Amino acid sequence: MINKEVEKILLKVQKPGRYVGGEMNSVVKNKDDVDVRFAFCFPDTYEIGMSHLGMKILYSIFNNVPYIWCERVFAPWLDMEELMLERNIPLFALESGEPITDFDFIGFTLQYELSFTNVLNMLKLADIPIKSADRKELKQIVVAGGPCACNPEPLTDFIDIFFIGEGEEVDLEVIELYRKCKAENKSKDEFLREAAQIKGVYVPSLYDVEYNDDGTINSFTPKDNAPAVVEKRLMLNMDESYYPENFVVPNIEIVHDRAVSEIFRGCIRGCRFCQAGFLYRPVREKSVDVIDKQCHTICNNTGYDEVSLSSLSSSDYTEIVKLLEKLTSWSSGEKVNISLPSLRVDGFSEDILNKLKTVRKSGLTFAPEAGTQRLRDAINKNVQEDELIETCSKAFNGGWNKVKLYFMIGLPTETYDDVEGIAHLSQKVVDTFYRCENKPKGKGVTVTISTASFVPKPFTPFQWYAQNSREELMDKQLHLKDTITTKKVNYNYHDADTSYIEAVFARGDRKLNKVMEKALEKGFRFDGWNDCFSFEGWMELFEECGIDPDFYACRQRSFDEILPWDFLDYGVTKEFLIKECEKAYKNTTTEHCRLKCNNCGAAKYGGGVCFERR
Amino acid sequence: MKDVRVWFTKKDECKYISHLDLNRCMLRALHKSKIPIWHTEGFNVHPYATFPLPLSLGFEGLKECMDIRLVEEYDYNSIKEKLNESLPKGLRVYDVTDPEMKAKEITYSVFKIKITSEEISADELYTKLDELLSKDEVLVEKKTKKKGVKEIDIKPYLDKYKLERNIGGAILEITLPAGSVTNINPTLIQKAVERYYSVDVYFEVTKTDMLNKNLKSFK
Repeated sequence: MINKEVEKILLKVQKPGRYVGGEMNSVVKNKDDVDVRFAFCFPDTYEIGMSHLGMKILYSIFNNVPYIWCERVFAPWLDMEELMLERNIPLFALESGEPITDFDFIGFTLQYELSFTNVLNMLKLADIPIKSADRKELKQIVVAGGPCACNPEPLTDFIDIFFIGEGEEVDLEVIELYRKCKAENKSKDEFLREAAQIKGVYVPSLYDVEYNDDGTINSFTPKDNAPAVVEKRLMLNMDESYYPENFVVPNIEIVHDRAVSEIFRGCIRGCRFCQAGFLYRPVREKSVDVIDKQCHTICNNTGYDEVSLSSLSSSDYTEIVKLLEKLTSWSSGEKVNISLPSLRVDGFSEDILNKLKTVRKSGLTFAPEAGTQRLRDAINKNVQEDELIETCSKAFNGGWNKVKLYFMIGLPTETYDDVEGIAHLSQKVVDTFYRCENKPKGKGVTVTISTASFVPKPFTPFQWYAQNSREELMDKQLHLKDTITTKKVNYNYHDADTSYIEAVFARGDRKLNKVMEKALEKGFRFDGWNDCFSFEGWMELFEECGIDPDFYACRQRSFDEILPWDFLDYGVTKEFLIKECEKAYKNTTTEHCRLKCNNCGAAKYGGGVCFERR
Repeated sequence: MKDVRVWFTKKDECKYISHLDLNRCMLRALHKSKIPIWHTEGFNVHPYATFPLPLSLGFEGLKECMDIRLVEEYDYNSIKEKLNESLPKGLRVYDVTDPEMKAKEITYSVFKIKITSEEISADELYTKLDELLSKDEVLVEKKTKKKGVKEIDIKPYLDKYKLERNIGGAILEITLPAGSVTNINPTLIQKAVERYYSVDVYFEVTKTDMLNKNLKSFK
């Protein structure tokens, strides 16, 4: 519903469709009929937030409860923000068009560190006091979840409750508790103390942190009976996990404008740089029949003509060929495309290729991540060069002539030989094309390579690692550029500046809260966007706050240091991470979960791949 | 194969769907409804729909239409019902007919515009509008197709209108050239008010009809 004041400014901004709601399947309730109003805030634009599967699942779960009305809120783009401030229009929810100021819950999903400034900015735009301590009543409870909640410490002054792990159940338990506390006229403090007893809930105000003189953590102490270790929540049975039959179908084009079905959670591989591969253990698959039914239902209910199978590594789905057979039995007749992202180099079989024939030949993307076998072993990518070459041959013989390859720069143990290896590997892919007999006639080949700068993340074997300095990263980028001699290879690189700031917050502690607060005062937001990101701005900010960002990004930690996120339990033990880290430095790989259990700790949940027959 | 004209309204939140996005919304609804429409042939096969006269972003439309091509017989009433089940509430199909006129016959659009201003009184606003519409020449800047701006006189096109007082401002009903030859968008009148009187005005525009050169309603 569009509020009158908002309507007056809509034609003055780009893409007004972002701000009006009214999409098919959006849920409008009567506010007098509900007890809890929940503002589900995605700290980025509509087009990005609406592409996010987690939001679709939780939106639906919440709104299925008669007493909850969950509405969507996105960060207004700069032009809209300016007009809203000028006209005193507080941040509003799309379904009701009403300000979210007095909502019961303001929930954020934390998908990437550079969106943290938007979290605070959205609270400010909503006229909600940004600090938890300044919100004294039992309302405006600010909660957050998502992958970045695995190190919540830089946001502890602002967020009342973090949800650790998968939110499907724990979110509802907390909302139910709130409703009960409200009915019993309890205080916010009482509610928070009780909430902390729910598994998967972290209430930062119930913990005291003391630091050593060198800035590292001396002690992390719970109070008021809060648990010393907060365990993540997870859905063990994916077939029984809630999956929406309906998505809100955006009226304007969004980034991923298609139906999505999650085929499994987690990843068997254990690539040592990949945080998701550790956070979401153990691997839990949905069965073929359930996925098939969910895909069919969602396509029927939304009208989408494309469904994407989502997971961290699609070709690792045990029955991928059977699944594709089942899906294509109805999809081609109904003119629906099946898309299969996240294909591994070694999982690209003829079978899959044949099943995907209906997909347009736009381009293929693979992620070898590193240029030499030695470094790929060190990061446990477990992809062999000949596998990549063979896969590319299949693709070229199958009519493709464009390949994208993703790499990382600044990985632990990397040398300049490894950097040059990226160029050499790309050259071999180019050569492969010209050797292919069935390559597309009359066409050249384009190999596009992209490098991202490696950001060490919590809960990975590289969580102790000192990130390469910006100078080193930029020098490596230039070196790679100079090593590439052919015009058939295009090289793109992500700038190292954002990766540095990302690294600071990814492994930050509570001392960064004041930086966040200052960032808000200075008007920082949309730091994931080039339009707004200012490296110099951030460096000035750190300086003013007396914070040395290198302490967080570029400092090698020792295994016995207390890390800010040590009190969280994602199932993977620290001993396992240490062992994996040591193996990395010996260039030794670890077999994936289906070949051998490596005792990471996730078996304690009692399900998933840990209990499959090997 | 049969050409069919689908008539619909575009209101509320859906006013803010751009023409390109409207095309995607409609195709998605057609796909969801499983209405047997013709797909283009060739390299990139896609369902085919065309809009005889696109509506500007932000305008309400009471008589919009889309042409589709059926590959087999299909009941018109079912098309209407199925599409309405598959479209957002702000888009409502109210009729499905055989196309009687060709799209290129459209010569005029009829608008009803509610005009208000936060800066001046309703009386003042009415007086200014009345004066503007009676001038010998009304110069505004219009974007040209080549990304430039040129000044044009819109007075010759302001010959079929009715201006009335309304609570808070005025209501202008006006018929303006539209279609493939000349297009005069009502926002040019808004620009003219702002240019001549340096006052911010707010236009709520509703397109009510399309006419052919003989001022007959488009069918």
